[in-house]
Amino acid sequence: MSDTSVAAPARATGLAANGQLILLGLLVLLVIGFSLGSAQFFSAENLVAILRQCALVLIVAAGMTLLLISAEVDLSVGASLAFSGCVAMDVTNKTGNFALGAAAGIAFGGLVGVFNGVVVTRLRVNSLIATIATLMILQGGVYLYTREAVQNRHQLPSFTTLSTGYVGPVPIPVILATIVCILAWIVLSRTVAGRSIYAVGANATAARLAGLRPERLRFTLFVLTGLLTGLAGLILASLMNAGQPTAGRGFELTVVAAVILGGTSLSGGRGTILGTILGVLVLKVIDNGIIILRWNQDLQMVVPGVVIILATWLDQVRRRGDGH
Amino acid sequence: MKRLNHMLFGGVAALALTAGLAVAETPERIGYIVNYATHEWYQNVIKGMQDRADELGIQLEVRDANLDVARQIAAAEDFMAQGVDVLIITPVNEEGVVQLLRRAGEEGLPVVLEGNPVRGMTTMVAICDYDTGYHAGVAAGAHAMEHLGGEARVMNVGLPLLSATVLRSMGFMDGLQTVIPDAVMVHDLDGGGNPDRSLEVSAAALAQNAEINIIYGINDSSAQGGLQAWKASGRDQDNLLVVGTGGEGLAFINAMETEPAWRIEAAMFPEKVGFTTLDAAVALFNGEDLPEHIVSPTAPMVGDEWQQFYSVEGDVRTINWDNVNQLEAPAACMMTAADL
Repeated sequence: MSDTSVAAPARATGLAANGQLILLGLLVLLVIGFSLGSAQFFSAENLVAILRQCALVLIVAAGMTLLLISAEVDLSVGASLAFSGCVAMDVTNKTGNFALGAAAGIAFGGLVGVFNGVVVTRLRVNSLIATIATLMILQGGVYLYTREAVQNRHQLPSFTTLSTGYVGPVPIPVILATIVCILAWIVLSRTVAGRSIYAVGANATAARLAGLRPERLRFTLFVLTGLLTGLAGLILASLMNAGQPTAGRGFELTVVAAVILGGTSLSGGRGTILGTILGVLVLKVIDNGIIILRWNQDLQMVVPGVVIILATWLDQVRRRGDGH
Repeated sequence: MKRLNHMLFGGVAALALTAGLAVAETPERIGYIVNYATHEWYQNVIKGMQDRADELGIQLEVRDANLDVARQIAAAEDFMAQGVDVLIITPVNEEGVVQLLRRAGEEGLPVVLEGNPVRGMTTMVAICDYDTGYHAGVAAGAHAMEHLGGEARVMNVGLPLLSATVLRSMGFMDGLQTVIPDAVMVHDLDGGGNPDRSLEVSAAALAQNAEINIIYGINDSSAQGGLQAWKASGRDQDNLLVVGTGGEGLAFINAMETEPAWRIEAAMFPEKVGFTTLDAAVALFNGEDLPEHIVSPTAPMVGDEWQQFYSVEGDVRTINWDNVNQLEAPAACMMTAADL
């Protein structure tokens, strides 16, 4: 591993820490503010509800963080989420086997990742354009696959336990999201692969000269994001008790907004899992607080939009300060 | 008096449509431009239309505008150029269709609208959204009196952007309050009409309002999202009533069969809308006078009552036309978007 690839994350970590402190402060302020506005906000039930809502986004956002650090993006995750859930429910219905259904749903997500990876790294199509195209293919394709929601005909308890079950006081989706985030954090901060992701995102040409293979790495990250989207799709199908072709609309924007808010640079080379976790928490706490305080729900669309603009502007400020 | 005349005229119109067709001439070709064919509702509208067209020996051609008004106009122009005998349109938006109506009028082509009114239209076939909610609300009140101790605290998983869905929610509460005057809507949510968003907003509302005991969804996806949020929070369904709206797919049947709380479905019978729309097209082709709004019937289905109207085999549901055709449509809606 070259010095260049090691140095990049070290500097990024210092800059990111400030951003994370700001986010943490914002999160604390939001929690205090909403709790003062409504006592129910800080109830155990509501905190669990917030964490459960965070779980789906976090699982996909972990993969998206790695992808964005490598200077690529996947906007097909919302459509893939819905399609994967339909596949998982359908295969479980047909086989009566939860493991097979789960594997099929996750594998479908992985296949979408393979497709995106091939289009971006082999055909050299810009990932923004490529994954919007994939989103359109999947949104239309899911209706070729099923004309309506795939209902739960197997009634396997394990399928619904995946989303509604608890280990102690913690919902299973939250545990899964935690595991995914820990693994992603280890990869990013403790492995050669993680340093390679930063290096490729910061300067792909330099990384190539240093002996790395950016295209292979990015392909792997597309597949990883796809697999994680498949897992989230499986959990969503379990939560909805149906494979819903109409689900996931706008999900990709929530994921990208949270990752950017967490300090991951759209231009690549910078970002942390901790930042992403904080970004997801901030967005979901705002979402939840708006309902708890009975504010106009249109704000749930407006606020993330404003947040994306602010976070992108802050990213540019940081980059200028970093001499990029 | 004018309103009474209109009601009487409208009331007999739907019956007259079906009765009169036995002796009337039928058009050879009818073109239908649907606004969004991938939606379950419209798939079933088309199904009902096709069934009726097959019965009458009419060739029905369907084009999908896919929510694109330019595409809708292009499809209508194609149909006019091909010389269809009647045009049926579910408008994507008003402005685009106003032009089409003008042009069709110049060419003497009869046009029937489905779903939404447009200035200058001759006739439109649509359900009454307020009435649909209202009658479901009355049924919910009866259920609450019997099973929920006469208390009704409603979480409305709504869609405030659309007047049709606002009317459903209003109708539901008004109908409920005829039975339980103290019934309250404790949370009015925007679930976006889709299941995952409905689940998310419902989870927050349920955390805030532990006393909710009725979930009303403006469509089946919204009701399902509300119910799943309820289940995810670890509550049992013993003291809960879920009321869905639409009944356009298999979701509500599955829910009524497997979820103890989902006891009422405000069914809108999209197949019947298609059936009635095609009959209106034939009547218009024969130069009959039709009311501006031909109402397609809706009805609350409680418990197993759905089996009177539908049967299911595998993933296919089949409408029982004999029973659905016996439903009586009101002569006019109790409230429309114009009253909001």
